[in-house]
Amino acid sequence: MKLLTHNMLSCHIKGVRNGYPFLIEVGKVSEHEADFDPDFLKHIFPRINWPAFLQGAEAMGCREGLPEAPTEAALTDEQFQKKFHHALLEVTLEEGSLVCPETGRKFPVSKGIPNMLLNEDEC
Amino acid sequence: MVRVVPNSGDGRQAHDDGAPSTSGKEYLNYFVHRLLEFRRPEIESLAKTVGCKDEEVQWRAPAGDVELSPFWYLTLPSEEAAIQISKRMILTKMMVEVWGEGETWEELRAAIEAYPEALKAPWLAPEHTFRVVVESFGSSLTMEAQIDLIEKLEFVNFKGIVRLRDPQVRFALLRCDCGDHGSLIDAKVPPRWYFGRLVASSDRGVIDTYTLKRRLYLGPTSMDTEMAFVMCNQAGVRRGSLMLDPYAGTGSILVSAAHFGAKVMGYDIDIKVIREGKVGKAGERLTISSNFQQYGLPAPVGLVRLDMHRNPLRPDLTEMFHAIIGDPPYGVRAGGRKSGVPAEAAAQRNPITDRHTYIPAMQPYTLGECLRDLLDLSARLLVVGGRLVYFLPATPETYDEAEIPRHPALELVANSEQILTTRYSRRLITMEKVRPYDAAAAASYYAERPDPTMAIDRLHDIVYEQLPAAAAAGSAAGSDGGGEDGAAKPRRRCRGKNF
Repeated sequence: MKLLTHNMLSCHIKGVRNGYPFLIEVGKVSEHEADFDPDFLKHIFPRINWPAFLQGAEAMGCREGLPEAPTEAALTDEQFQKKFHHALLEVTLEEGSLVCPETGRKFPVSKGIPNMLLNEDEC
Repeated sequence: MVRVVPNSGDGRQAHDDGAPSTSGKEYLNYFVHRLLEFRRPEIESLAKTVGCKDEEVQWRAPAGDVELSPFWYLTLPSEEAAIQISKRMILTKMMVEVWGEGETWEELRAAIEAYPEALKAPWLAPEHTFRVVVESFGSSLTMEAQIDLIEKLEFVNFKGIVRLRDPQVRFALLRCDCGDHGSLIDAKVPPRWYFGRLVASSDRGVIDTYTLKRRLYLGPTSMDTEMAFVMCNQAGVRRGSLMLDPYAGTGSILVSAAHFGAKVMGYDIDIKVIREGKVGKAGERLTISSNFQQYGLPAPVGLVRLDMHRNPLRPDLTEMFHAIIGDPPYGVRAGGRKSGVPAEAAAQRNPITDRHTYIPAMQPYTLGECLRDLLDLSARLLVVGGRLVYFLPATPETYDEAEIPRHPALELVANSEQILTTRYSRRLITMEKVRPYDAAAAASYYAERPDPTMAIDRLHDIVYEQLPAAAAAGSAAGSDGGGEDGAAKPRRRCRGKNF
């Protein structure tokens, strides 16, 4: 699971109000080189919830060099692009959990894939 | 909408209907004769993908005005557009700048001779290498017959040097002669000769490169390679696109989208399929990633096990994907499931003691509900101008165009039928997001239609239902469902088959 996916998910257990963002419990993190595409970054940047992204990056150990509150103007800066790209698409959670900030329910991430299925008493 | 005009009868571009004439160029589009209803929508979608405007693209019916003919005239803004389209097209063999056509060889010859010398000369110049490609529709030509025909073309006055590999100029001689086989080919296409300059041709070799026969990780419903490419073409997937398959399965549609340069994301409710994969012959683990490695494609940017009905996507997420392409689960081979306990089984469930090992309950998910979730989520998650492409199962008894699911933010672009057996078919539905998602509009649209049930929700029963007694006697309706329809009704032909 990359931070792109983490940014899109929130806890959907019935009755949960503050299920975003998930806390990341790290077991194993890996890095895989991904195609660097500035146009893709430009598309995705305004759609990213930045505080959640920073929080995820902190947990995954790739927070360094990412600004607190970048504007779209930052996208013209190659240094920023590279760091954003790396944290968004290259750092991968192989093993660990997504933890609901409200209930503490853990959604396991295994072999890089989050299991977001609810048990019947949660939906 | 792309315009379609009837044939003018004289083999020349029609401008007599008072419509403004397009400034573009007209080509003969020679289709592969399969997936008949998919062919024109594919070219229209690709024209859009390479930047043509709707009003720059126009179809003109071929001689005989046969709807399902493999020969259709197509106006495009430029030759460059034709070349760009040809790099992706799957269901078109070639595009030809026609120099002449006719019912007989004599008519063809007269037409070519009448074609302006000034337009021919630059391509016939002695400094060019060239070759002539001969193709026949409806019947085959031996190599000798092809060479004879090329020799008969001597009146064209080729001055260049023949070169079979990588010539600078290619010419095409197309023959249509369905003879007595006309009835075997759906389209009753009249005899015709065409000759002209071959402007662009497709590379169908890519279908073999990605063939499922050699794919490492496969499941019973993996999408056929050719169709997966057609789906991606319908959706306008291109380099830099973010594409989602919400029913990713073994990832066959994801692979095709990645081939076209998209970043791909896949969801599936089945943990075995999306995460565990299976064990290969040498004991290795095979998963979706194995398929991406096999073709040297960049891995998916995200794979998630989730339930589209009770999905964990943050509620304010919007305009994320350029394309959403999927084959929703329906009840012939893989039925739909969603979270929760079916009412009749509630009493038998064991209490949840360990959440780590507990296997969540699932209940049936009707196609009507599934498509409602798919359309509403797509309306929200697609960028404006982005496309949703999915398969809708249909049977002759239940199909009703009015039942195709709609959404206030989505417009129906194409609906192409692929007949699978005598008893059911599937339709590739292409929808485009035409306005931003408006939650209130969507809610009121669905409030007016509280019941998502569709006639096709009975698909399984319809396909497997007891045959009429007379027919059943002749074709024992086995547990495999059987494709035989007995003698009760005339057989529908499988138009998806390769002729």
